[in-house]
Amino acid sequence: MSIPHWILITGFGIFTLAVFYFVSQIVKKANTDDLSQAKGTTLPAVIYSMTAAMSPFKKETAYLHKPTYILGIMYHIGSFYALFLLSLHFFNISLHPIVIRFSYSLLTITSLCGLIILIKRVFNLKLRHLSTADDYFSNILVTVFQILSVITLHKQETFSILFIVSALLFLYMPIGKLKHAITFVISRFYLGLFYGKRGIWPPKRWKAWKLKSH
Amino acid sequence: MAPKKVESMETEKSLTEKQKRALSRFADSLDGRLLTHLNSCVHCGLCAESCHYYLSTGDERYIPANKVDQLVSIYKRYHTGIGRLFPKWIGARDLNDESIQEMVDVLFGGCTMCGRCSLHCSIGLDIPFLVRTARTMLVELELVSPGLQSTVDAALTTGNNMAIPREELVDTLEWLEEDLQLEVNDKEASIPRDQKGKRLLYTLNPREPKFFPLSISAVAKIFYAVKESWTLSTYAYDVTNYAYYSGDDEGAKEITKRLHDETIQLGADTLVLAECGHGFRAMRWEGPHWIQKRYPFPVISVIELLAGYLTSGRMKLDPTKNELPITLHDPCNLVRAGGVIEEQRFVLKKACINFIEMIPNRENNYCCGGGGGQLSMGEYRDRRIVSGKVKADQIRKTGAKIVATPCHNCIDQLMELNQEYKLNVEIKTVAEIVADALVIEN
Repeated sequence: MSIPHWILITGFGIFTLAVFYFVSQIVKKANTDDLSQAKGTTLPAVIYSMTAAMSPFKKETAYLHKPTYILGIMYHIGSFYALFLLSLHFFNISLHPIVIRFSYSLLTITSLCGLIILIKRVFNLKLRHLSTADDYFSNILVTVFQILSVITLHKQETFSILFIVSALLFLYMPIGKLKHAITFVISRFYLGLFYGKRGIWPPKRWKAWKLKSH
Repeated sequence: MAPKKVESMETEKSLTEKQKRALSRFADSLDGRLLTHLNSCVHCGLCAESCHYYLSTGDERYIPANKVDQLVSIYKRYHTGIGRLFPKWIGARDLNDESIQEMVDVLFGGCTMCGRCSLHCSIGLDIPFLVRTARTMLVELELVSPGLQSTVDAALTTGNNMAIPREELVDTLEWLEEDLQLEVNDKEASIPRDQKGKRLLYTLNPREPKFFPLSISAVAKIFYAVKESWTLSTYAYDVTNYAYYSGDDEGAKEITKRLHDETIQLGADTLVLAECGHGFRAMRWEGPHWIQKRYPFPVISVIELLAGYLTSGRMKLDPTKNELPITLHDPCNLVRAGGVIEEQRFVLKKACINFIEMIPNRENNYCCGGGGGQLSMGEYRDRRIVSGKVKADQIRKTGAKIVATPCHNCIDQLMELNQEYKLNVEIKTVAEIVADALVIEN
């Protein structure tokens, strides 16, 4: 294995340990012993929290901001796809030309989405007010990672740069805002528990409620 | 309790004792749920339009993500490595006069903890939970708004948040009882007080005996019509719990315990909470956590009780007695955080001939601006009224002549909005509307 391979392994190893430590802290300190009497059920609410509640039909932040929502979804798809490609590069698995063309198109689009999100953060006053260096850096890091993934599809010799940037990404993820990659599911889980126990999620409209109460 | 040692850091020496206590309190509350929500905000800023403060003013300070940052910045500074080494990089801040002042201004003066932002948050942060956690720190710093603090103090020292003497309450209940007897033409009609072994113990919002006695009459008339076995307590009856809003867990526990103990002492089967949004949330959902005990009796809202009377056929209503168009304002703590969503709609549709929904409604409804303890914080009165413009616009669009809402905080705020924005509507509790439509069978 080359030095970039080892750098990537080291980065990923530290990332794994950091995530393990962080999640273990959350689990260790988890206090889900809610003593109030339930009105609803939590499992359907947790499922709803992670599915329909995030759809543009239900989530105001999605339906009021459709372009941003689509950009965000595409950007995240690109990130996960680039991680998948990284694993293929790591194990030196060659891709069919059709897959390469598909990957190239997808990641070009998603990288552009990342750039647009970055530009929006720079020029939108509301976003600028909220942003820290971490927000800009995280956006740039992930976008560069996606762009390098595109380049490496055509120029194999850039894999070393991709591996080093990927290692940096893994090292940075548990530190800055990219940590949401780890906490996102847990946050939605907690939100589902909260709304589920209280009978708020999944929503039951009044006809359904009336039928049930009769 | 002696403050825990705050993590070693450059600024530790400059922290005051109160600040150390606040940080220690915060460190104690860092459980899995809090850790998750503190590490999740991505600053997407999409939550801005979910907040009635931001919608009414366009002021970036009121973006929910900025409210979250008030606490997250402190967390990062004292509980993360990068926050200690490179605070500016991730927006970590020292707990100092400047950051504390901003916390007070934004979290007390610019948030009703309505939770609308959480419902729509891209990630799913429980923002009111974070805001309340920050308020618990402000309790340690003795920086709770004086008006809110005095409301909590009154409840703790006198048993009700308006410091009504027991004799005054008893007098009020006695003349209300006489009125009821005249109205229903039955000398046996009563407002039972401190009676043991009844099915229901009913609570009051102290604003009712003080300013809105008709809402007590309305409920008493309903109970008379359905021949309910019920009682009021003249010792522990206050449904409100402003310590929930102030962030004072000890106070909240004490207030919860009173209703809990009184229900047991009187041997009532069920505790019925009057029309009060935050009181419902505090007693029904948060109370068991504060007193660390499951209640041995069910706790329900009077709205759930009324819906039950209708579904069982125990109560009959004549909707033609309420001809004017009625709309409903959903109190955030009863609906979005309380789960009483369809019951009030069901009741109102049976009680009037023209019910009009606000848009949006139910768990998506906008806060009226009266929650979060805002009504007792006089210094933020102007902001509160401005933030209520979203609600005023919603009401105006319905064209309704009556706004029903099962919450006395909301009623007070809506009355002010009615005057300020010239809405020309009447504000009523749900029970008042039901009482007007009541069919009393001899």
